[in-house]
Amino acid sequence: MCNATMERDETAMTETVIVLGGGIIGLSCAFELQRRGHQVTVLETRRCGGQASGAAAGMLAPFSENVEGPDEFFRFCRESLRLYPDWQGVVRDVSGRDFEYTASGSLYVASHAADLLVLEGRLLWQREHGSSGRLVEGTELQSLEPMLSRHMLAGLYTPEESHVYAPDFVKALEQGCRRLGVHIHEELEQLELAEFEREVLVQAADGRMFSAGRLLVCSGAWAQELAVTLGIRIPIYPIRGQICAYRMEVHQPVRHMVFGPQGYLVAKANSTVVCGASEDVAGYDTTVTERGIERLRRWNRQLFPHLEHTEPFHRWAGLRPATQDGLPLIGKLASADRIVMAAGHYRNGILLSPATAMLAADIIEGKPYPAFNEAFKPERFGTAIGYY
Amino acid sequence: MSQDKLVIGGKALSSRIFIGTGLFPNPFVQKEAIRASGSEVLTFAIRRINLEATEDDSILQHLEEGSYTFLPNTSGARTADEAVRIARLARASGLSDWIKVEISANERTLLPDPIETLKATEILVKEGFTVLPYTSDDPILCKRLEEAGAAAVMPGAAPIGTGLGILNPYHIGLIVEEATVPIIVDAGLGSASDVAQAMELGVSGVLMNTPVAKAKDPAMMARAMKLAVEAGRLSYLSGRIAKKKYATASSGLEQFIVK
Repeated sequence: MCNATMERDETAMTETVIVLGGGIIGLSCAFELQRRGHQVTVLETRRCGGQASGAAAGMLAPFSENVEGPDEFFRFCRESLRLYPDWQGVVRDVSGRDFEYTASGSLYVASHAADLLVLEGRLLWQREHGSSGRLVEGTELQSLEPMLSRHMLAGLYTPEESHVYAPDFVKALEQGCRRLGVHIHEELEQLELAEFEREVLVQAADGRMFSAGRLLVCSGAWAQELAVTLGIRIPIYPIRGQICAYRMEVHQPVRHMVFGPQGYLVAKANSTVVCGASEDVAGYDTTVTERGIERLRRWNRQLFPHLEHTEPFHRWAGLRPATQDGLPLIGKLASADRIVMAAGHYRNGILLSPATAMLAADIIEGKPYPAFNEAFKPERFGTAIGYY
Repeated sequence: MSQDKLVIGGKALSSRIFIGTGLFPNPFVQKEAIRASGSEVLTFAIRRINLEATEDDSILQHLEEGSYTFLPNTSGARTADEAVRIARLARASGLSDWIKVEISANERTLLPDPIETLKATEILVKEGFTVLPYTSDDPILCKRLEEAGAAAVMPGAAPIGTGLGILNPYHIGLIVEEATVPIIVDAGLGSASDVAQAMELGVSGVLMNTPVAKAKDPAMMARAMKLAVEAGRLSYLSGRIAKKKYATASSGLEQFIVK
C-alpha cells in the first residue's frame, strides 16, 4: 500500500472531536475515541473529575440500583458491567496507574419481613438477566457480613456486583487519555458554543477558540446550559449527593457493598468505609450539611452498630445529573448533525462509563447500535419552545 | 364544586387524587409532580421508611414543606398478622393513624389477598386506625370491608403498575352503587382517560403512582391526572346523556322547513 492511499483512508476515517466536560463520562468517551484513532480535545471548566465523578462511591451494581424490572436502563447498566473487566484492564495498562477494582458482591438487606416479598419479586427477573443472586438468612448472612446488625432479617446476595475506587479510577482515565494523545484543557471557567453548523467552535472565557468536526456533550448537570443554543429541552437537574467515610478497623470488616432503602455502605481497600448518599434538591450548591451527614450516620448504625461511636473522618458532596425521566441523554441530535450528547447519568455514571463510551464512539463513527438505546434519544423532551 | 369535598375519617379533602411517592426518577421530579397533582394524601411503603427517624427518611425528608395527610401502606405484607404489625410500627412512629392495608401473597401479580385483607381491616379498625384497604374489585368483598369499618374501600383497576386501566368497569360501578363509604380506585390506571373513566363511574377518588412517576414528564402527567379527576368528577355529577342508536340533529330539523 502506498503512502498516499493510506493518508487518504485515514483522513476519511478520522474525526476531530471536542468533548465538553472532563468527568467520568467525558474522559471515558475521549479515551475510547482516541483509542479508535480519532483526535479528541477535552474542555473542562474546572478540574477533571471534580463533580459527580469525584463524589461517587464507585459501585458497579446494576442489580441493586435497578429494582423495578429489566427495562432499557437496566439493560444498559448490565451491558456496562459486562464490559468492565476488560475496560478497567485497558485503562490500567494504558495509564500505568493503579486503582482499586474489587469483586466484592453485594447484599441488599431486609429489616422487615415485608421486604422479603419484594426481594423475591426482584430475584424472579434478575436471575433471568445474569444474576446468580439468592436470599441469605441467619448464620449464612452473619458469616457473609459478620458486623451486620442482628436485627437484619435477610439479604439479597448478588455475587456479580463489584466496585472501583472512583477518584483513583478517574485519575487513571485522565492519565490514560493524556498518554493516548488526548488534549485536555482545564479551568476554562466558561465555555460558549460559537458555531456548530459548518464546524464546531467552542470559545473559552479567556478568548481561546477550539475547533473540531464534532462536539460530544458530556457536561452532566451543566448540559442544560446548551438548551437555548441548541433549541431543545435538556431537562437535567443537579441533585446533591452527600457522602461520608469512616476508618475501618481490621477486626471490624465490611465485606460487601451493603444496600438498603436509605442508602449504601462499601468498604474500600484503603481501610475506609464509604457511606452514601443523600439526594438533596439544592441547585448547584455543593455544601456539606450537618443534617445530611447526621442522617447517614443515624442510618448507618442501624445496619452496623459498631459505627455508633465512630466519627466519619471525611465528608464531601457532588452534584449528580438527574434527568426528567431517569434515563440519560445519549445520541446524535437530529437538528444538529455535528453534535452528540452523553449526559444525565445521575447515580450510575461510573457504572455506565464503558457502555456510554462505546455507544458514543459508535454513534460518532456512524455504526449501528442496539435498538434499546433509542430510549436515550436526547431530543425526546421536545424543543425549547414547546412540544410538537 | 368548591363544596364538593371528599371526607375520609372526618378529614375533608379538596383533592380527589392520592399519589404514591415511590418510583420517581429523582427527588426534584418527585416534588414537582406531587405539587402539580394537587394531591393532599401521599402514600408510601412503611417497610421502605426509616421509622426510627422519619424526618431522616430518604423519601419523607423531601416532603416537609407541604402539609399532607400521610397514608402509609403495608405493602410487602403477606398475612394479616404482618400487616397489623407493620401498621402498629407506623403509628408508633407518629407518622399517621391512617393505614392502607395492602396484603399480597403472589410476588408476580401482587394481587391482594382478600381474606387476609378483611382480617387485617377488622383488627386495625378495632385498634382505632383509619383503615383504607386495597382490595380486589369484588362488590361483595368491598361491602364486607365497609361493614368491617373501613373508612374508604380501594378496589384495584388492574394489577399494580400494569397501566391496564379499569379491567372490570361493571364491577367498579356496582361497588359504587352499594357503597356508603368513599370508593377509591387504586392501582392499574395508566393514563388520564382511565382516570376520567373511573371518576365517571362514580368513584370518590383515585390513587396512583406508576403512571405519574414513570411518565416521560412526571410533573406534566400529574397535572393531566389532576385535570382528568376534575373532568371525570364534573361529568359524573352533571349526568351524562343516554346513549341512542340513531342520530338526533342537534340544531333541530324544523328550522329547515320552508313555510
